[in-house]
Amino acid sequence: MNEFLEQFLIESRDLVAQGTDDLMALAENPSDRERLDGAFRAFHTLKGAAGIVEFGAMTRTLHAAEDILASLRSSEEPINPDTLDEFLTCLDLTSRWLDAMQSAGEAPSTAEADADNMIARLVGSRGAAEVAHASAPGDDTWVGRLSVAAGSHFTEYRTALRYIPSPDAFFQGLDPMNVVAALPHLMTVDVVLTDPDVSLETMNTFNCSLEIVALMEAAGEQVRAALLNVPGKVEVRELASTAIRQSEEVQTNARSLIEAQLLVLQQSDVDRSVGRRASAGRTAVNALLYLGRSELAANVELAIATTKAENSPDPLIAAIEQALSGTGQPERHNNSPTAPVVPRALRVDMDRIDALVKLAGELIVVKNAIGHAAKLVHENEDPRAVIATLREQHALFERLATELQSAVLRIRVLPLRSVFRRFPRLVREIAVSVGKTVRFITEGESTEADATIVDALFEPLLHVLRNAVDHGIEPPEQRASAGKPAMGTLILRARRDADTVTIEVEDDGGGINVDRVRAVARARGIATAESLTAMSDAEATGLVFAAGFSTASTVTDLSGRGVGMDSVRTAVERLGGKVTLESQAGTGTKVGLMLPFSLMMTRLMTVEVAGQAFGLPLDNVVETTIVPRDRIVPIGAGRAFVLRDQTIPLIDLADTLGIQRTDTLSRSPAKVVIASAAGQIGAIEVDRLGERMDVMLTPMEGLLNGMKGVSGTTLLGDGRVLIVLDVEEILS
Amino acid sequence: MPDNSSKRVLIIDDAALVRAYYRAALEAHGFVVGEALNGLEGLEKLLLEPFDLVIADINMPQMDGITFLRTLRSKELPVSSIPVLVTSTEAGPHDIAAARGAGANYYLVKPIKQETLAEYAAIFCGRPR
Repeated sequence: MNEFLEQFLIESRDLVAQGTDDLMALAENPSDRERLDGAFRAFHTLKGAAGIVEFGAMTRTLHAAEDILASLRSSEEPINPDTLDEFLTCLDLTSRWLDAMQSAGEAPSTAEADADNMIARLVGSRGAAEVAHASAPGDDTWVGRLSVAAGSHFTEYRTALRYIPSPDAFFQGLDPMNVVAALPHLMTVDVVLTDPDVSLETMNTFNCSLEIVALMEAAGEQVRAALLNVPGKVEVRELASTAIRQSEEVQTNARSLIEAQLLVLQQSDVDRSVGRRASAGRTAVNALLYLGRSELAANVELAIATTKAENSPDPLIAAIEQALSGTGQPERHNNSPTAPVVPRALRVDMDRIDALVKLAGELIVVKNAIGHAAKLVHENEDPRAVIATLREQHALFERLATELQSAVLRIRVLPLRSVFRRFPRLVREIAVSVGKTVRFITEGESTEADATIVDALFEPLLHVLRNAVDHGIEPPEQRASAGKPAMGTLILRARRDADTVTIEVEDDGGGINVDRVRAVARARGIATAESLTAMSDAEATGLVFAAGFSTASTVTDLSGRGVGMDSVRTAVERLGGKVTLESQAGTGTKVGLMLPFSLMMTRLMTVEVAGQAFGLPLDNVVETTIVPRDRIVPIGAGRAFVLRDQTIPLIDLADTLGIQRTDTLSRSPAKVVIASAAGQIGAIEVDRLGERMDVMLTPMEGLLNGMKGVSGTTLLGDGRVLIVLDVEEILS
Repeated sequence: MPDNSSKRVLIIDDAALVRAYYRAALEAHGFVVGEALNGLEGLEKLLLEPFDLVIADINMPQMDGITFLRTLRSKELPVSSIPVLVTSTEAGPHDIAAARGAGANYYLVKPIKQETLAEYAAIFCGRPR
């Protein structure tokens, strides 16, 4: 690859997004010519971009798609849904390739085979054979002639080429022989006249009338890419006998077989699950052995046993997914231990950059004014006048700093559209695979959030959406008998309230069966019978988010294959957000993800221990209280006290951090902060409770990185460094 | 050529031509091949002899492929865990989903090249290349 890679990735992502938008609009209105033109342009430009970075498989695939789009543009017929699906799949594939290039710095090894499959699907969906000139099965007699000429060496070559330059090639400043000479790994070349019967008298010497045939060791892709924009007729044949191509195909077949086992495991069928899961495990193990990856096979083998013991497909799914990510890079990392990772780039509006430039300019003015004030003091000016100037400049500086901060934050902001737009098709596919009909609506896609948050949302949202389609929305017959429209409605909506971005997934399905949740929670030991009776229905429903709720024998109408809602909760909490759940039997379920707008601002509460200040994230703080010493009782190795009928473990922050107290405070009542993290609650004893503040948290770096119990630092107003604690680690 | 000599494949298909075609493909690669004419006969064979892979059709008289799969998967281990490759002329997503729903591990649309079939059989049986 080359130096354009970073730019290529940015631009291609935009184009994929734009193409997807156009295609989705076409799905709504198949006769929208403008959208069709837009989609065509997106594919065309993407193809061009792929050519620049010499990504042959992508060029070839998009070329095939573009050809079909071109013929659709020139005909009056509306685009059919199957073809549309293939175009979307094509963009999905492109997107996956881009991801792979981002992380590995080069095209994935499976790209060629992926491209072959994709082109076959595209052609199939169109029902026509005339796609890319390069892949059209045409007159192959020239290949035969070449093979005769090459004799026994023919099988050593990978690619055959026939190139007929356009007649006006010379006028375009093109030297066809130069073009051919520049081809990679060229082995033999032959040049003949296109019209062998032409005589010297009738021949037009200004016209190019040559036919060039060549054999080379380069892959067909490289040859096609090299001749991409050359005027004339180019035919490239891959010589299928080469061992290289075969081994690639074999790898793909085995991989797709393993991938198919994930789908088998995701079937929700209680009666036959044992045999089904075991057969999927066996198949995956054997396919891995076939690939010669016995270490991965052994892992899957272990997971078969776990899956059986826990009666949940999840361990096996996880093991297979891990194995698949392992087979993606066959042994390659052995010889190149450090794959070049392309830095993540962000596209930013020019306006936002301009705002920064303007703010920086104003800051310079303030800096000069402060310098001027210092000079006045030096010259023994009236101090009161100088103080007035300084106050004025301080106020100005404060305003600028605040503006600068929010301007910088706005740079990291992306609309949620970039993640939302991936869902319509996935939801449709999930719905088809489980035999449901679902109308999927997205609202508020232009809501913005921090890029880190937007990037991390895909997995948890897909989880929630899949649950909604699979278990929330009832089958059409059941809906009909409940008096609902046969087609279910699923809404994905986003909105921003001040510093919170709220994303909701709402379905009009059967809701969550609270009795079932109580039964499962009790069976799984998540809550006791007494506490369950005390819980309101809403509280009980919330137990689906509890860790361990769905890891095991919960193959029920509620959780089906045991998809862990706790994994959604964990992902969202990791981003500093929280999940909510509203469900009404018979009318539907609403899952809410409440996320901070930006990851960088943290609300803190300061506490003091042995004269040293520490910050606790306010999100973790439930309340602060004072506990008399006689109410603290030793429990095992630790201490605890009872607060409103709840036993809360008590941790002394000084002990935990290994700080020696100079004086003992053991006589006075304990000042405690009640904190919660990752579903745990605990009390932290401190010497003094401090103030609350908003800070920019700097993560620990270098040697301090990974220090237990610390999540970062921030600068206090007086220049001291405040260490901010990681409550989750402290409580555990 | 990988050594598939100890690997046993059961073909369940009502069409004699298909069985012969598959048998030739598989025996050329060293597999031991058994045959059954429909799902019922296939189940009987599986309960009597061990097999590493079943290649089953969908549309068959007496017991079709879907019923066969459902019945097989609800048996006791280990017989219920035998991998099943479905080959059928039906190419619609619903057909594929139905076979998967019943317990198929993979689905190939007929016609299938002999080489392809042999290769999938080798993958299913876990013979290293």
